Amino acid sequence: MKGLFKSKPRTPAELVRQTRELLIYADMKSDRESKREEKMAELGKLIRELKSILYGNGESEPVSEACSQLTQEFFKENTLRLLIICIPKLNLEARKDATQVVANLQRQQVHSRLIASDYLEANIDLMDRLISGYEDTDISLHYGAMLRECIRHQSIARYVLVSEHMKKFFDYIQLPNFDIAADAAATFKELLTRHKSTVAEFLSKNYDWFFAEYNSKLLESTNYITRRQAVKLLGDILLDRSNSAVMMQYVSSRDNLRILMNLLRESSKSIQLEAFHVFKLFAANQNKPPDIVSILVANRSKLLRFFGDFKIDKEDEQFEADKAQVVKEIAALEARDRP
Amino acid sequence: MAQVIEEPRKVQYPLDPNSYKILDEIGTGVSAIVYKAICLPMNSTIVAIKAIDLDQSKADLDSVRRETKAMSLLSHQNILKAHCSFTVERRLWVVMPFMSAGSLQSIISSSFPDGFSEPCIAFVLRETLNALLYLHNQGHLHRDIKAGNILVDADGSVKLGDFGVSASIYESNLSQGTSYSSLSSSLMLNDVTGTPYWMAPEVIHSHTGYGFKADIWSFGITALELAHGRPPLSHLPPSKSLIMRITNRFRLSDYERNKKGKNKKFSKAFREVVSSCLTQDPSKRPTAEKLLKHPFFRYCKNADFLVRNVLQGLPTVEERFKQSRLHRPLPVAGDGEESSVGTVVKHRRISGWNFNEEVLELDPVFPTEREESSLEIQNEDDSIVKQVRFGGEIIIQSRHEEQLELNTSDPNSPISILDETHESEVVAGETNVDEPAEIEGNEEVGMENPPPELMAVEPVIYPLTALIPNLLALQNSLDEERQLISHVVTYIRGGSEVSEEQLQQTVEELQKRIQDLRLELEQERKRTTDLEMQLESLRRRGTAASVSDSSGRDEEQLQQRNEQLLQRNEQLRLELEVEIKRGSESSSSSH
Repeated sequence: MKGLFKSKPRTPAELVRQTRELLIYADMKSDRESKREEKMAELGKLIRELKSILYGNGESEPVSEACSQLTQEFFKENTLRLLIICIPKLNLEARKDATQVVANLQRQQVHSRLIASDYLEANIDLMDRLISGYEDTDISLHYGAMLRECIRHQSIARYVLVSEHMKKFFDYIQLPNFDIAADAAATFKELLTRHKSTVAEFLSKNYDWFFAEYNSKLLESTNYITRRQAVKLLGDILLDRSNSAVMMQYVSSRDNLRILMNLLRESSKSIQLEAFHVFKLFAANQNKPPDIVSILVANRSKLLRFFGDFKIDKEDEQFEADKAQVVKEIAALEARDRP
Repeated sequence: MAQVIEEPRKVQYPLDPNSYKILDEIGTGVSAIVYKAICLPMNSTIVAIKAIDLDQSKADLDSVRRETKAMSLLSHQNILKAHCSFTVERRLWVVMPFMSAGSLQSIISSSFPDGFSEPCIAFVLRETLNALLYLHNQGHLHRDIKAGNILVDADGSVKLGDFGVSASIYESNLSQGTSYSSLSSSLMLNDVTGTPYWMAPEVIHSHTGYGFKADIWSFGITALELAHGRPPLSHLPPSKSLIMRITNRFRLSDYERNKKGKNKKFSKAFREVVSSCLTQDPSKRPTAEKLLKHPFFRYCKNADFLVRNVLQGLPTVEERFKQSRLHRPLPVAGDGEESSVGTVVKHRRISGWNFNEEVLELDPVFPTEREESSLEIQNEDDSIVKQVRFGGEIIIQSRHEEQLELNTSDPNSPISILDETHESEVVAGETNVDEPAEIEGNEEVGMENPPPELMAVEPVIYPLTALIPNLLALQNSLDEERQLISHVVTYIRGGSEVSEEQLQQTVEELQKRIQDLRLELEQERKRTTDLEMQLESLRRRGTAASVSDSSGRDEEQLQQRNEQLLQRNEQLRLELEVEIKRGSESSSSSH
């Protein structure tokens, strides 16, 4: 009997239009409570339907034609903006669905173009809103997930990198709430590793303030997890070929060397190991400035003793080779220092 | 579903450790401790805090993040949700509601050694299925369904706990992709809690990865666990010498237990549920949704029933924890070796399971290590299993020895392996006829139906040289085993002069001594951490000065003291190990 009353299936474009209408409604404050509840439930259902078109459901794979129609209609008007604004008003399940819809839309191509990127470029202030989500516990995980999807687009990532927001990440990473801090750290890492050329350009133009903050707020943080994540990410950044100029600049600084040597002496094995991967760059540098050499020489015996005992749990040829190289470099300094 | 939606929590628990007062330790794992605590600013609400040592986890923090995030975004009445989480030095504190009756596993081991009654099982399983249905609809896998992760509150409500955190923190190889689809190849026995008993064949085999249906398998194993008081074959330590270590001792104790439990009878409906979950082919296992519609769950009891029949008179979680510490099962002799075998242990897999619906028992089929090197001489595997299951200790040994000799002495004749196998299969068949009756009545007759995959034997001939290292390893473990047995034999002989009572006394004394040593070790550990913290703060101060002359005398002294302490620590640990070994040897000889 049920089937008799089933309405005709709506097209993806119709679904998007209805969603948009309800989002506009949700954004306004009015109406009786009971009616509102009904409409919000309907909105939740619609968002779930959008999700199952984009991801497929248990029985069927997504159909590319339907996805394409949905995407086009979605970005034709400001549905994305409305959806982002309305996230705090949705219930938990609808929020999760909405987050997945937004994530998926970033990857949908229409006529081999990522139209999401065009939309975001024209509505770049949405990024400001998403980033500010880290200051609102209630929505940070949803906004954070959307944000990471949006910065898959190079132009959008560039906007965030050069914006004032970048400075805020140094604090977001250390928020006391682990889930949120970890989410911010994931976004921060994505920003600094995904788009190689953009990152290299950003780092060389902003070297001074960026690494001053990085050292003092992250590498010298009192928070174990912050130091551990920061030294790992630093290694990833400096060891990336596209950042070689930045790396040379970094390993020529006496202050940086001091910080890394302190990290080497930490009692945490994980931090020690990550610190080693950065420290080795100082030692391997063939054009060490004199003050770097003098620090290494002054600490030579301690360093050699340290590396003599420095072991990791599992066998790792690359690590052993690196270590041997570092020891060789430091021992060779001795010869040069005392003719 | 109505119970699915619950608005996100409005109460924000404080994110600093000083707001909590720890009352008692209620659980420990390899790198996590669970405490009972009160949250001072929240009217001293009781909470459970799981403190995970992040430095011990090799996993990258990204996977930790993914999982805690997933957990904080779930909301269902049958899922234990974290109040909040934050870091305290190197530990991640996950603050959760305190489930005052503890885990089903702890309830079983303290008060229901023979398992629960069927109505209780039906109720807790249905609650667990509700949680699974929600998780699976959300695209999440639990990955670690077992009685130890199903928690009960004082009012009889049941929640699935420990979502993901443990799995992801300890397994570094979570798939990096967007989906939750696969714990890739090597989710193996390096798991902390040694959870292999619950693992689905395809997870262990790794070819197809971990899907929703693997949770269903674990669910089936959990059902067995609740019915029998332990998961199938949990009496076998998952180690290299596993095959050898199934001794009559274990068999006997099982037998006695079964007698006491009067060979519980289970309803047809229950047996159907379990056997459908334990189907080899994942695609033939039912979904959580389908299982919920099974008649077994139709007339389920409610939470009150659980309160009246299980929870009443139960010792508190704290008492149970203390109890379990006192009577922690003494490790099987030779367990110490497990850590040293490291990699070998990790590669131990189970090649299949034989499910015997009649008695609701599951018997795994262990491949030899040969299979690990991707040599699939399956018929041989099969024969070894049979030997292990039904052979007496001594007989197994001598037989294996023969096998070893044959194989190693005649490396140029590849056919010998096949001949050999045939022979041992026949022999195994013979023992098979006599032994079961002796061991478990006639219940085990008729379980000799290896799953189809094992029947399809491919007689591939491999160069024998490839087998030699494995055989040698096998021989080594045999030697160890033999030594152990001779130990036991001497003990028993010597013990015949000593009275049973005296032995009992010795065992008790030893247990006490172990307990003392354990305490001492704990104290030493605490002291070490304190010193480490002092050292840390000194270091920070030292940092302010220039690098070249940073290490002060104080620090050096501290360092020295620290090292001494560590050494002492190590000594104590060694002592403890020796004691444990002695304890287990004498206890086994006293039985």
